[in-house]
Amino acid sequence: MKKLLSIVLAAAIVAAAGITMSACGSGSGAGGNTNSSASTDATKTIKSKDDLAGARIGVQLGTTGDIAYASDYEKEGSVIERYNKGADAVIALTQGKVDCVIIDSEPAKAFVEQNKGLKILDDTFDTEEYAIALPKDKENLVKDFNNALDELTKDGTLKSIVDNYIGDDTKGKSPYKSPENVDTSKGELHMATNAAFEPYEYKENNQIVGIDPMIAQAICDKLGYKLVIDDMDFDAIITAVQSGKADFGMAGMTIKDERKEAVSFTTPYTKTTQVIIVKE
Amino acid sequence: MQDFFESIEKSFTKTFITDDRWLQLLQGLGVTVQITLLAGILGIVIGTLIAIIRSTHDLNLSGKKCCKPGDYVLKVLNFICNIYITIIRGTPIVIQLMIMYYVIFASSRNGILAAVLSFGINSGAYVAEIVRSGIMSIDKGQAEAGRSLGFNYSQTMIFIIIPQAIKNILPALGNEFIVLVKETSVAGYVALQDLTYVGNLIRSRTYEAFFPLIVVALIYLVIVLILTFLLKRLERRLRNSEH
Repeated sequence: MKKLLSIVLAAAIVAAAGITMSACGSGSGAGGNTNSSASTDATKTIKSKDDLAGARIGVQLGTTGDIAYASDYEKEGSVIERYNKGADAVIALTQGKVDCVIIDSEPAKAFVEQNKGLKILDDTFDTEEYAIALPKDKENLVKDFNNALDELTKDGTLKSIVDNYIGDDTKGKSPYKSPENVDTSKGELHMATNAAFEPYEYKENNQIVGIDPMIAQAICDKLGYKLVIDDMDFDAIITAVQSGKADFGMAGMTIKDERKEAVSFTTPYTKTTQVIIVKE
Repeated sequence: MQDFFESIEKSFTKTFITDDRWLQLLQGLGVTVQITLLAGILGIVIGTLIAIIRSTHDLNLSGKKCCKPGDYVLKVLNFICNIYITIIRGTPIVIQLMIMYYVIFASSRNGILAAVLSFGINSGAYVAEIVRSGIMSIDKGQAEAGRSLGFNYSQTMIFIIIPQAIKNILPALGNEFIVLVKETSVAGYVALQDLTYVGNLIRSRTYEAFFPLIVVALIYLVIVLILTFLLKRLERRLRNSEH
């Protein structure tokens, strides 16, 4: 009988602990959000850029949306939730953990297509340019890349690669194919990327495909290298290029002054803009 | 040589002074400590309760038939505890954290609560086995002596067994707590701004790996050193009763 009593007692302690914990939990919640104003705890409907101040904004760590825009709004009382992947930020948005997500326009379209109940606001930010990041001490390689990009622009390869991924009429119609007997005598070039950024780079059938890998393949074919793609977190790409772990970085990367201090950029190969995704 | 020092100074300034990044590191440290402490307390509460249930079962019922209604309750509780320990020890903490954040707390915005619960529940499973090993390590004679002095079962547990057990398991418990401190470094997966996350954030801004990584590592090391020091003092204090 006494054993039964001790078990009942134990159960009581469990219950008590549960109550204490939930009290602790709500306490910690209040403590954890000290830097957020009261308004960010409630959902905020975002209709335009003007509503971003004081909202909860989801971004991918280290992307343009994070560095150039969201971090500015942080000073105006917004709470920025930085996820390792753009897709995680979008999941958080569908669950209402954030009020909106700032991300590049083309991946945004892919996300909205795959998730019902999301939409992209018409309000956009400034146009920006994607380029390839190379180590600072390899000026010759930058020149080679620029020449190759030039040629690819002139013979229309670049446009046909982009058309293969963007645009409803042209999608999937003009994939890039390496010429036969391609020369790979100069050895391997490692490309650092973050393959969760459709249509620029993403995984399909366990292979990394998209605009960037195709352009990179075309450049490597022209220059006589073999392309090897290394998938990593977006915020690791520039350090990888800097430290020589990768020969170049290509991941829908916008030319930015802060990034220029760390790496060299080629001429831009495409234009894009940041957009805001919200719940419908 | 001067260039070398200048570049070090430049990257130091970039890593710590620009944008008040040292303050961000401090806030990150605060979040790490907060999660660790709350999760540690939760883990010890859960762990001790489970250990008592499991060892009561093992000491009294192991291999025997149930004869009282209490025995059946104990059997069921023991079964539940076993499942809990198996699941928690059998899955990675990152996955548990993501399940807590994206599945169980899907509609909540309180990331810290999700983290405290998942780290606490995770730690609880390990603490349970540590405490159980402590209780089982106490000689049966101690319990018999307690009972012969007129203590009932729970009194014997509370006044005779547990105090001796705690002394035995202190090093292992300290170990678990140290592991917990470092395990919280995965909290960045659910966008919590803990110490590791702030290090990554700074790295994504300065594109320099050296200072953010080394400093974050050093801060963790200091936390663990402080913990080790406190544990040593506690151990020494408890050993006083042996003389």
